[in-house]
Amino acid sequence: MNKEETLLQLRNIVKPYINNEEAFENFTEDTDFITDLNINSANLVDIILDVEDHFKIHIDNESMEKMIDVKSTLEIIETKLAKKR
Amino acid sequence: MIGNDIVDLALARKESNWKRPGYLDKIFTQNEQLLIATAEDPDIMVWNLWSRKEAAYKIYNRATGVRGYFPLNLVCVYENTNSGSVLCNGYTYYTKTEIVKDKIHTVAVTDKIDFEMVLELGTEITMVKKKGIPFLAEEKTNSLKPVSLSHHGRYRALIGLK
Repeated sequence: MNKEETLLQLRNIVKPYINNEEAFENFTEDTDFITDLNINSANLVDIILDVEDHFKIHIDNESMEKMIDVKSTLEIIETKLAKKR
Repeated sequence: MIGNDIVDLALARKESNWKRPGYLDKIFTQNEQLLIATAEDPDIMVWNLWSRKEAAYKIYNRATGVRGYFPLNLVCVYENTNSGSVLCNGYTYYTKTEIVKDKIHTVAVTDKIDFEMVLELGTEITMVKKKGIPFLAEEKTNSLKPVSLSHHGRYRALIGLK
């Protein structure tokens, strides 16, 4: 899976929780879940659980700390997937 | 310093399913989960504790400049429905929580004495944000005062210190 595909899959995961359509239209690596997409912090848990389910990975608390933007989330997904291989 | 957080219970019920497997483990310590499991109304306990963590995080974020998602490092010390404290990486924040109908509102402060100084502000003030952290711009003195803004569903609050 390349980065573009992962980004697209993450975009689909995040979609149900966004509160800013306009920012979602411009979903890139630089998008912030909280400040750009206005995602409620209680829904970040859902995103983390959805990411775990979708990619079949386990996200530890240390990784979870950084998952407030797309860039860090992509990095974590890639690191975890690489360990699985 | 000050932080506050509001939860609209009606919206929370719609937006979040805390009974989802794995959900509570990601954000609440074993002790907090015990409080939820034994609460008369677990739903209210979930959002009561959550609003305390969020209010405390706002102070922590302002004081340290650290941004992140680490609810398990924000540990609630629960005294009763309306008061307690939150510990985070060596810091202690005191909290007061008010529940009126569907509104759960927590105010967190660094010193207990600050509770007497808490001021609810109107919308007429000029708010500026620096690195995502809100300040009140005081035109007379040309200075910035820390304020905390919270908005969820039907409720919003903007608070500062006298």
